[in-house]
Amino acid sequence: MTALLRATGLTRRFGGFTAVDHVDMEVQEGGIHAVIGPNGAGKTTLFRLLTGLVRPTEGRIVFAGSEIGGSRPHKIARRGLAQSFQLTAIFPRLSVLESVQAAIIARQRHTRDVLHWTGRSTTAEAGAILDRVGLGAASGQLANTLSHGDQRALDLALALAGRPRLLLLDEPTAGMSILETRQTIDLIVDLVRTDGLTVLFSEHDMDMVFGISETITVLHQGRVIADGPAATVRADDDVMAIYLGNAVRERN
Amino acid sequence: MNQPVRTTLQKHSERLVPFVGRGPVDVHRRPRQVALRVGGVVALLVLLLVAGQVLDIARLLTLEEALALAAFAMASNLLIGYGGLVSFGQAAFFGIGSYTVALGWLHWQLSFWLALVIAPLIGGAVAGIIGLLALRSRRLYFALLTLAFSQLCYVLAQERYTFTQGANGVIGPMLPDSLIDPRHAYLFVLAVAAAAALVLWKITTSPFGLVLRATRENRERMQALGVNVFGHQLLAFVISGAFCSLAGVLFVVYSQSAYPELLDWTQSGYAVYMVVIGGMFTFLGPALGAGVYTFANQYLAQHTSDWQLILGLILLVIVLFRPDGLAGLLSPRPWRSAARRLQARFGQQEDSTTDTTDPDRTTGELP
Repeated sequence: MTALLRATGLTRRFGGFTAVDHVDMEVQEGGIHAVIGPNGAGKTTLFRLLTGLVRPTEGRIVFAGSEIGGSRPHKIARRGLAQSFQLTAIFPRLSVLESVQAAIIARQRHTRDVLHWTGRSTTAEAGAILDRVGLGAASGQLANTLSHGDQRALDLALALAGRPRLLLLDEPTAGMSILETRQTIDLIVDLVRTDGLTVLFSEHDMDMVFGISETITVLHQGRVIADGPAATVRADDDVMAIYLGNAVRERN
Repeated sequence: MNQPVRTTLQKHSERLVPFVGRGPVDVHRRPRQVALRVGGVVALLVLLLVAGQVLDIARLLTLEEALALAAFAMASNLLIGYGGLVSFGQAAFFGIGSYTVALGWLHWQLSFWLALVIAPLIGGAVAGIIGLLALRSRRLYFALLTLAFSQLCYVLAQERYTFTQGANGVIGPMLPDSLIDPRHAYLFVLAVAAAAALVLWKITTSPFGLVLRATRENRERMQALGVNVFGHQLLAFVISGAFCSLAGVLFVVYSQSAYPELLDWTQSGYAVYMVVIGGMFTFLGPALGAGVYTFANQYLAQHTSDWQLILGLILLVIVLFRPDGLAGLLSPRPWRSAARRLQARFGQQEDSTTDTTDPDRTTGELP
């Protein structure tokens, strides 16, 4: 396997605060890679750096052989890096079908087309994607009438419509019911196994992290404190102390 | 001491921002609905054609003015309703259209038909320049920048006396012979306004139209999907500017003059007024608003000097009780949805969220 994404010395400061501090990491193509760490460890900023929503202060990001650090978000997205947002990012007053159609049009680069009708080339594909995430029956509803779990599913559908090579998921199961969490995990695994997608995700649910990821990067106060195969990271003393230790303590 | 004042202001702006930002909502249409809509539009066109033959000249002229303003309102709604970009400077483009005809005639004996073609090009080009600068800002700042640029155009028209004849405006026989007969002129305005509406409708139903609405709903998400949102909003701004200019040309057919007030911010305000009272959630809502505005303006002014007060009260009632405008009254169950909205307004506090999920809004849509 080769590295699809490589960050070197990636740093982001906000005033005097260093949110992401010289992070080095590699995401292997075709794998499931988790980023974990306590709240405020810099996971979300790291993701925003990778997708271009935040510009790096220092460091490099290479995706599929090209430097993307500091590029504008839409340029990075066009290279095949899609994301699902931690705070669900949907189009509240578009229908579910229209939302996915908009995402497909964006991928096809037909966004300046004023001569054709919206439906023609996109309805069938949008329907297939919605079936895949379990929203096939809801395509006529306005997006803001969906339940929270269904909105997360729609968010994922929007990311998939871009046919990405790398999918970034920021806490994909946050706020979901047990059943919805199960379905989302199955879908992620299926996307990687069947479609050859690469997934990089952050998550608080340790069962999910150790259940499906092959590689884990642990962040603490903006720095990488452990990085490697899931089994190695699980056995790491620092991780136990700083992160898992806290979790165990909280539970007791 | 300042604290309570600020919070009151904030409360009002919070209530207004989701309102002005809201726009057309589409749902799947059943064939019967489609037939109803097509039938409605054909009936409206026939009615307007018949009116052109039977109305007396005074009323015909009012209707002609309403048609020109309807084109103006629909072109503005591409930004306001579909794009969620509340521009307070659309009058600049409207005025540029009028002045293209008038100044072309005054200085270069430019043919009206040529001006009809050139005006949207000039309007679009100026919109490109203004949009390039104004679209760098969002929401209130965008509105203020568009207002500032249009006031700049207004002052230019007012002050450059040798070129524009200043506050007097340009008046004279600038129309071609074939448009001297008021009934011919009316038919011409109707034809161009209808054609403009058709093109605008095509744009709103195209992939570009969907991308524009999606960007209004969630700009950052659209960026993450690989869309250069600035470029698309700029394109919408240019298209809107071009069609506002075309509407300005139509207005000259009615007024046979061009004057600085056409570029003033109050003229931009009228566009927003027509869009809001007609209904920005529907394609033809702004046209309805233009009709109501023009006729109310005309007849109220004959009976009372406080006509602007009455127009203001109408706006107030609509903003409070029917944010989907008069077009919302055409929904199959207008009273039920109105009752629900009243309940949402006064029954509980989180009114803005209940509004957005009201399913009746979507059924009240015109084609």
